[in-house]
Amino acid sequence: MNDMRLTQETSTDQQTKISASGVQVHYGDTHAIKDVSVEILDKTVTAFIGPSGCGKSTFLRTLNRMNDTIDICRVSGDILLDGEDIYDPRIDPVQLRARVGMVFQKPNPFPKSIYDNVAYGPRIHGLAKNKVELDEIVEKALRRGAIWDEVKDRLNDAATGLSGGQQQRLCIARAVATEPEVLLMDEPCSALDPIATAQVEELIYDLCKRYCVVIVTHSMQQAARVSQKTAFFHLGNLVEYGDTTTIFTKPEDPRTESYITGRIG
Amino acid sequence: MNEQQHILSAFDRDLEAIQAHIMKMGGMVEASILDAAKSFDTRDVELAADVRARDKAIDQLEILINDEAAKLLALRSPTAIDLRLVLSVIKVASNLERIGDYSKNMAKRTTVLMEMPHVFDKGQGLRRLAREVELMLKDALDAYVQRDVKIAEEVIQRDRDVDQMYSGQFREFLTYMMEDPRNITPCMHLHFIAKNIERMGDHVTSIAEQVIYIVTGDRPTEEREKKDKTSADANISLDLE
Repeated sequence: MNDMRLTQETSTDQQTKISASGVQVHYGDTHAIKDVSVEILDKTVTAFIGPSGCGKSTFLRTLNRMNDTIDICRVSGDILLDGEDIYDPRIDPVQLRARVGMVFQKPNPFPKSIYDNVAYGPRIHGLAKNKVELDEIVEKALRRGAIWDEVKDRLNDAATGLSGGQQQRLCIARAVATEPEVLLMDEPCSALDPIATAQVEELIYDLCKRYCVVIVTHSMQQAARVSQKTAFFHLGNLVEYGDTTTIFTKPEDPRTESYITGRIG
Repeated sequence: MNEQQHILSAFDRDLEAIQAHIMKMGGMVEASILDAAKSFDTRDVELAADVRARDKAIDQLEILINDEAAKLLALRSPTAIDLRLVLSVIKVASNLERIGDYSKNMAKRTTVLMEMPHVFDKGQGLRRLAREVELMLKDALDAYVQRDVKIAEEVIQRDRDVDQMYSGQFREFLTYMMEDPRNITPCMHLHFIAKNIERMGDHVTSIAEQVIYIVTGDRPTEEREKKDKTSADANISLDLE
């Protein structure tokens, strides 16, 4: 028991990176997220779990305003990134997304070379003064994506020629190339085989030393493996949020327990 | 307690099967204590031999339960209450196996004591002690099946009485040994029986604690007051003089 408290203390040492309070999301008449409040910690992996349609992906997408692109979607409540309201009209969503990067379920490399995939973000955000600097950024990002050794000799090959797992790690490298503060991952391993999944999970573990990582996953074992904090969503509500070890050994809410033990879908 | 079924019905079947084995093992261990005490009581060498022979089956059941638990952990990745249940099953099986060993040991010593019939009258308190522990085990297993924290807590409390009864026995045997050195050998055997029964009580307590862990996720933290002071009290023989 004491050990568990110890973990709790270590993880709460991290500062709050994203603070959401009273967040509501409507898609037309559908109330998708109901009054969700949560503090997401920096340099920590937070996993969102829950059955399909519970709102976990929707909530993830509010964190970098991806829902802005959907006309019928209305978001209310406060989401603060380092204390700053990201829905403030003065905030430029494009700049925000450079700070809050995203990795999707299906690897989606641009139909360009490996190099250009990673260089794309730094170029549009003007992060490199010259080719040498850009080369450095690309190499650093590919190293952080744990794929450098596999692609360093063929940077000009088409990214689409890589395997699924390599493509996903390339997408992660692309996301970290702009030096984001937060990395959102929407089921990043669901299209990957177990080996590629393990590689991405190992990468997530490395990334959280540097970034605030939020991952949506359907695999509870994956949530248990990679995250320090877990949030369980059900029917648009945030039912329970706490240390991953607590959620998986001794959840408080019966709905959480039913879900993680495979009693409700 | 989560009364809902798993979506995967094979998971429920596995959990039920492993718990059925725990109950079977519990029943065998209860019978073992009862018969060991009875063989002591009635100087029944055959029954004592039977108790010793039956211990093998108890040991094999523990191995089976551990194999089933390993399979469950590997194939079903249990979490929350399911995880606590599987962990407790491993622990309870180990507790039961130990209790069975102590019971077997009691039967063994009964056979030896048969050679010295005159001491049997000195073993009155042992029968009471064995009876109490057997009842505690029965209640602990009931608490386990019914997931009843209240009964489990009562069992834990009752172990204090067992500790006290053992201390009493310890002192009693000491007086016999002081009276006449010829009593030392039989009284050493009697004392080992008493000590073993007291240890059974500790294992029963551990089973009761597992019940609390399964239901609440907490382990009882409150340090129980130690009623058996025989190990700490160097002056115990002086007190008796």
